[in-house]
Amino acid sequence: MLDVILSQVAAGLVLGSLYVLIAIGLSIIFGLLGIVNFAHGNFFALGAYFALTLFQHFGWPAVILAPILVGLVGMGVERLLIRQLYDKEPLISLIVTFALALMIEALLQLIYGGIGQPFSQPPMFSGIYLWGPVLITRYRLAVFVTTVVLLVALWAFMQFTPFGRILRAGSRDPEMVGLLGIRLPRVLTAVFGLGCGIAGIAGVLAAPLWMVIPSMSQGAIMPAFVVVTIGGLGSFAGAVIAGLMVGVVTALTIQFEPSAANAMMYVFMAVVLLLRPRGLLGERWERFE
Amino acid sequence: MLVRRQARLVTRRQALLGAAALGGAGAAAPLGMPTIANAAAAEPIKIGLLLAKTGGIAAQTEYLANGTYLALEERGNKIMGRPAELVWYDEPSPQGSQQNMQKLVQEAKVCAVLGGSLSSNGLAEEATAAELKIPFVCNNAAATDMTGKNCNRYTFRLNTPVSVQAEMFAPYIMDYGKKWYFITSSYAFGQDIAKSFKELLAKAGGSVVGDDSVPLNTPDYSSFILKIRQAKPDVILGGLTSGDLSTFLKQWNEIGMRGKIPICEIAIGDTDIWSVGTEAATGLFTALWWYDNPADPPEEKAFAADYLKKYGKPAADKAWMGWIAAKSLFESIDAVKSTETEAIIKGLEAWKGGTASSPYYWRKGDHQMLLKNLVVQVKDKIPDKWNYFDVKGTVPKDASELDKVFGDPVAAGCHMT
Repeated sequence: MLDVILSQVAAGLVLGSLYVLIAIGLSIIFGLLGIVNFAHGNFFALGAYFALTLFQHFGWPAVILAPILVGLVGMGVERLLIRQLYDKEPLISLIVTFALALMIEALLQLIYGGIGQPFSQPPMFSGIYLWGPVLITRYRLAVFVTTVVLLVALWAFMQFTPFGRILRAGSRDPEMVGLLGIRLPRVLTAVFGLGCGIAGIAGVLAAPLWMVIPSMSQGAIMPAFVVVTIGGLGSFAGAVIAGLMVGVVTALTIQFEPSAANAMMYVFMAVVLLLRPRGLLGERWERFE
Repeated sequence: MLVRRQARLVTRRQALLGAAALGGAGAAAPLGMPTIANAAAAEPIKIGLLLAKTGGIAAQTEYLANGTYLALEERGNKIMGRPAELVWYDEPSPQGSQQNMQKLVQEAKVCAVLGGSLSSNGLAEEATAAELKIPFVCNNAAATDMTGKNCNRYTFRLNTPVSVQAEMFAPYIMDYGKKWYFITSSYAFGQDIAKSFKELLAKAGGSVVGDDSVPLNTPDYSSFILKIRQAKPDVILGGLTSGDLSTFLKQWNEIGMRGKIPICEIAIGDTDIWSVGTEAATGLFTALWWYDNPADPPEEKAFAADYLKKYGKPAADKAWMGWIAAKSLFESIDAVKSTETEAIIKGLEAWKGGTASSPYYWRKGDHQMLLKNLVVQVKDKIPDKWNYFDVKGTVPKDASELDKVFGDPVAAGCHMT
């Protein structure tokens, strides 16, 4: 039985790493902008579709170009749409981003059709590793390693760069940051683009594993919200821990009670919130209280 | 493409105005106003189309809708010599589908409805069709109960019921062995498949070595695949719907399992396999139609050519299903020269299509379409991004066995009311 559990934990960690990448962008956007972005899963889908399209013209460099393009689209959306929502009721931002999600999905369907687009992993990542009972594919291992590298780089960026410090300060007290002479609107545009770009990276990494269809965002957005809620709204470390835990819980549920696989993450969330109402690493944020 | 169809939709306001105009004309006619009566005769005949516009099933519904529109265009967009149009509403959920069917009938004033892309939606829609007394031709859902214990005289169903497809397909699967692993979606279609095949497997003395009921829209199957690998079955019996089957096959290949354990499933769509890609596609399946089947009659070959010309890609089985369901309805209305419900039902019951060796028709006892099914296998070497299948067999071989193979409607629980 231990063999089985170890195999499922490994599978769960890889799944969880994708959830972390999707959720981190959502968490950053919420933390600084205070916007609950229902369209976040659609930026994840855009990453997959952009990679698919750019791949036909540029080959494998498309996997780097696609998230950058998603980030730029995100910045454009922030300038045109999201910026109008900062001083509005939270409900307005929910409705607007929900509408944006529907619009992006419809656009993808209009351009690419409803049928899934075949997209496989690079040939160099084909094959599997077998360590005792644990089976993991080369590609999934590459996804896991890429996620870890990206998270470390993102953490270092937030901790040690002037821009990262502005982001962290702005998330706590945007008014004070503005009074210090920093042009906050530009920062907000960059943050929204960064969050969307990270979702785009997740979309690119998921494209060879998941079906590239217009509705692929639906498989991403709910786990992302669950991860952010469990981890604590706006908490970077919380999202990482929660994402990996949700992946493992889902994998183990599949082993023992497969029909409850999707429901179990919500049960897990409910238990965590009962014990820690602000999530695992959530703190009190004055501006949201 | 979506915009084109949306442009054809009747908005709520237009529908109400249209309904008001129709109501006015209807009221005026008995007063002897020939001009208004003639205007009413020139009103287009409206046919409702209920197909999902988003979600995993959208890959199939795109083709179902294309086939339906093509069937109308082939007739110059006319039925009974009058202009005709399709009014397409979404199927967001079973309950939402029922509400939209009600809107189609009461607001858009359609005389019949085509659609039913998922079993769960189809089952809900057929109940509403009976309540509203409107002919409903279901072009995709395969749940056994639709023409079994839930049957009603207003509903006609094209797809072969799960239990019948299971009977047809089981001998082919048994060739791989009798240790089966079930992986089925946790809703009506998957549950129906699991029930039907388990009964057949038990009769054949086989064993179930694994049985996973999978939530719809599961994005990651790696943990399920690890379980299957541990169980070492002879064959996997799938009951995954549309996009879920594609995701499973993609990850099955990614984990290096393609070619190691055979995968079989009934009632798939060509699009489910086209989505997977040539490197990952594998399996043995049932289908109602295949565009590259040498045995297709000339009329269907002409349809495939028309489709290719219009859409620039081969017709999927779902395109044919949309086309044939719509064609039977349009021809039936033509034949009875009426848009009244009872007349349309009689027209459909009398309609016949296909050829002498491969006929298809709606059976009176349960309104199930009787037709031969194909068993298709993914080619070892796929020549292009469309041509995935070899036809391994046709079931039943002889058309005279159709009635027997589809079983007795009353025994299946259908008591037409």
